Order: sequence, then structure tokens, then C-alpha cells
Amino acid sequence: MNKVGLSQGVHMELVNKTATHSHQGKAPEIWAINSGKGGVGKTFITSSLGLTLSKLNYNVLIVDLDLSGANMHTALGLKPSHLNMRHFLDEQKSLSEIVIPTPFPKLSYIQGVWDLWVPFDLSKFDEFKMSAELKKLKYDYILVDFGVGPFEKFFNMFLECDQRIVVSSPEPTSIEKTYRFIESYICQNLKSKATPEAYHKLINTLRDFRHNVLDNPFSFKSYLKENDGLTLEPFNKLNREPLKLLINGIRSQSLMDLGYSMKSVCNKYYGLNVDYIGHIEFDNSVWQSVKNMEPVLIAQPFTPVAGQFLSICKYLADSKEIQVAA
Amino acid sequence: MLASNSRFNFYEVLELNTNSAQHEITTAYERARATYSGENPAIYTIFSEQEARELLTLIEEAYSILGNKTLRNIYDQRLLGNNKSNPEDLTYESILSASRLIFNEAKGENKKIVYVRDEAFEKEIAEQTQWTGVFLKKVREYKKYPIERLSDVIKVNPFYIKAIELEEPTNLPAPVFVRGYVMQISKELGLDAKTVADSYMKRFNK
Repeated sequence: MNKVGLSQGVHMELVNKTATHSHQGKAPEIWAINSGKGGVGKTFITSSLGLTLSKLNYNVLIVDLDLSGANMHTALGLKPSHLNMRHFLDEQKSLSEIVIPTPFPKLSYIQGVWDLWVPFDLSKFDEFKMSAELKKLKYDYILVDFGVGPFEKFFNMFLECDQRIVVSSPEPTSIEKTYRFIESYICQNLKSKATPEAYHKLINTLRDFRHNVLDNPFSFKSYLKENDGLTLEPFNKLNREPLKLLINGIRSQSLMDLGYSMKSVCNKYYGLNVDYIGHIEFDNSVWQSVKNMEPVLIAQPFTPVAGQFLSICKYLADSKEIQVAA
Repeated sequence: MLASNSRFNFYEVLELNTNSAQHEITTAYERARATYSGENPAIYTIFSEQEARELLTLIEEAYSILGNKTLRNIYDQRLLGNNKSNPEDLTYESILSASRLIFNEAKGENKKIVYVRDEAFEKEIAEQTQWTGVFLKKVREYKKYPIERLSDVIKVNPFYIKAIELEEPTNLPAPVFVRGYVMQISKELGLDAKTVADSYMKRFNK
């Protein structure tokens, strides 16, 4: 068992070394971008991460899963296209058939559902099928903007992504919703491996924890260990493959370290490891360039924001490679 | 909040590894302090003010041990050593008292002060109601207690002790500090600290 694992590790390392920035039959690395609250800049973050990766010479596909009136095309400075996610969700076309090229080298995108005048039916939607089809596409990176839709419908797809990025703004409302998102994320993970009764009991305990009426301090780790019908493994997995926290729109020096504070709160309150990957400063050139229909990273490639995206991309790409090599 | 066994793991309190470098400890402490003091939006709806204050106390304790190389050494030996330590050996107080032992042994300056008992003067001390700087000095000299040593023990600058004895307010900090110094001096001289300080401060404030 051990030997197999070892030789696989070595093999992966070789693949990484030889596959210099071009796709060689390797499955694409999928990054999910999500948030607890709408309007924190998911679309801007997704498009900018995509542009940055494409500038680093990777083949990149951006997928807009926003079902509430997608506007990835605006962030990319493009006119909305007739082809969009609806064609895939209605099973008229495959994913690869609705990919739209952009004027930017190595960057393509799939437009979200834009024509909202026809009511939308997600009852037949199969997230596993979509996830499998995404993995077959020939790109180095696929960035999925999850939008503020019904998250339960996409939960398993979100789980299967290689990186799960949660965007928050420094506003208290957004921070609060980020914690709620994290809570529901933990619970959804635990639910799949728990008996219904045990899960129901856990939820009640969590409710007491939230309302400060528990006698003892609560810890997921000890609770999952001590109670029947629950397993610790989903929680351990969350700690091994932590959510990546990104703070967007920092306007003052004093909020620079907000990400570290939120990381610490997750650790002390939930016992959950969250990886803080960096912040993006508030920058007036962002909305100005959206108004001019040109992505800020193209219009003003030397704005500090570009450097912040670059270091985030490098951090995420490197941490993955280090993991594989180890 | 924190499980009871994490309470005395100062590395967990500051969210560090046991092999963290000294500068990482300082950074972690500064971040933790910023998180749990003041009105940081990150703790809003998660920790109450009371809980944040408790966490902050823990964080300060953790840093006063881990931020000091000597204390961190003692702590590491107990936390990571082969012998499983009791949680009470890992408390802030326990580490601090262990360090005092080492510190005192190294200094070896614990000679007892001997003075000749003078019954008449003892009676005068007992009946004293007007505590002046002059009289405090008289008591100190009678008990053969040098200013430098007194300063070492009570950790008050000898300059201030002299100023208290000479009653020189211009050379002293705010009255609230002076009162504290007078309390400490009289305690060390075996006097009733409260009576002395009350009486001294009454004159001092005039």
C-alpha cells in the first residue's frame, strides 16, 4: 500500500516538472469561488483570477454559475452572448459547445444564465454529471463562480473542486454571512456521513452553542468522537483541505489583518482550519474600468490590485504543487 | 470556546506550532490581540464581549510566557518533555514561580538583614499617626534597609524612594503611583501599609 502511494507521488512530481504550463492529458484544476453574501465581488475576483492565470500562460476557462442574472461578461468587458449556461442546463448542448472565446489570450468563458424571463427549473439538474463533464474539458484551470443561487443544488460540485475560495468583504454584514456560510458548509459535510437522528441532535446542540446555553464548551472534534451515529472523518477532511478565505475591498490599513482575525475566530469557535489567502484592496480603477467595459487588469496592468491577484494565484498554485510533491 | 485541555497550551492559544520562531510568536500575538480587543468586526456575532475579554486574558498570558525566551524554555520543557506534565504545571503562575526560583538562585543575594531592636523606637512606631517622609526614612535606617536593596525588592526606582523620603512632589509621578510606592515601602518595612499610605498621602496632597 505504502509503496504504491510513494511511486504515485514520485510520478505526480515528474508530471508536474515536465508539464510546463501546457495541458498534457492532466485533469484541469478546478477552483470554486463562493461567498456568504452577494455583492462582495465574486464576479470581479473570478474574472481577475482567470485573467491573472492566463497571463501566467495557463489555459483558463471561467464558468459563470450565477443563476440570478449573471454578469461575468460585463466584468470581462464583453457583450452578452446568446450562448449561455441555460443551453447546458436544458440539456441542449454540452459544456464544450457553449464555451465562448475572449479577446484575451488563453482565456475563455461560459456565460451564466442571462435571460431570466423564462422561469428556471433545476429539478433535473445533476451536479455530478456537470462536475464530471467539467473535469473532461481541456484546460489547465477552470474557475467556477457559484453565484448566490441555491447552494444545496451545487454543494457536491463545490466539494469536488480542487480549491474552494470564499470571498468576504470587510463589512460586518458580509463577515457575519461568511460565518453562516462556513457553519452550513460544516454541517452539510457532516450530514452525508451521519444518521438522521444523530445529525438532528448535533443541530440542536449547535443551536444551544450559538445561544450560549451550553454547560460545557463545544468542540466539533470531541462532540463527533463522543456521540454515536457521527463520524469524525468529514470534519478532519475539512481541516486537511481547508476553505480559502479571500477578503475583497479593503479600504483601510486597520482592516489589512481582518483575514487573520477571521481565521482565528474559525479556529477558536469551530475548531476549523481556514486558510487565509490574502486581501484585495479597494481600488477606484476597478469600477471605473468596469464602466469603460475593460477589465482592470488589462486597462491598468500595474495597479496594486494586479500584484495582489498575482500573489494569490501563485500561493494557490504553489500550495497545490507542494501538496502533490509531498 | 476553547476545550479545557487547550486552555494551557499556549501554542494553541496563539495558534502556533511548537517550533515557531520568536518573531512569529510576536506577530501571532499582535494579530490575536487585534482580533479580540476593541471592536473588531471579525468577532461580531460570534464572541460576546465577556468571551472576548477572557480570550484576551489567555492571549496575554500565553504571550508573556512564549514571548520571553527564558519562560518559554521552562514551559517547553514541561509541555514537550518526556514526563507528562500536569495541567497545573503549565499555568502562567506556575511557570512564573519556577522562573523566580532560577532567578533567585542565580543571584544568591538573599542575606537576611539584622538590626538591633530598640524597644523605645518600636513603641514610637506603633504610636505614630503622622507619617512623614522623614519618619519613614528614620524607620528604614533603624531597620538597616539600604535604599538600593529596597528598590531591587519592590521594583521602584531609588530616585523615587529618596523623593518620597524627602517629600519632593516635583520629583514624583502622579499621586496614585506615589501611594502605591508608599504602600510597597511600608509593607517591606513591616509597617501597616494602609495606615501609613493614608496618612502620608493626606500630607502629600496638601
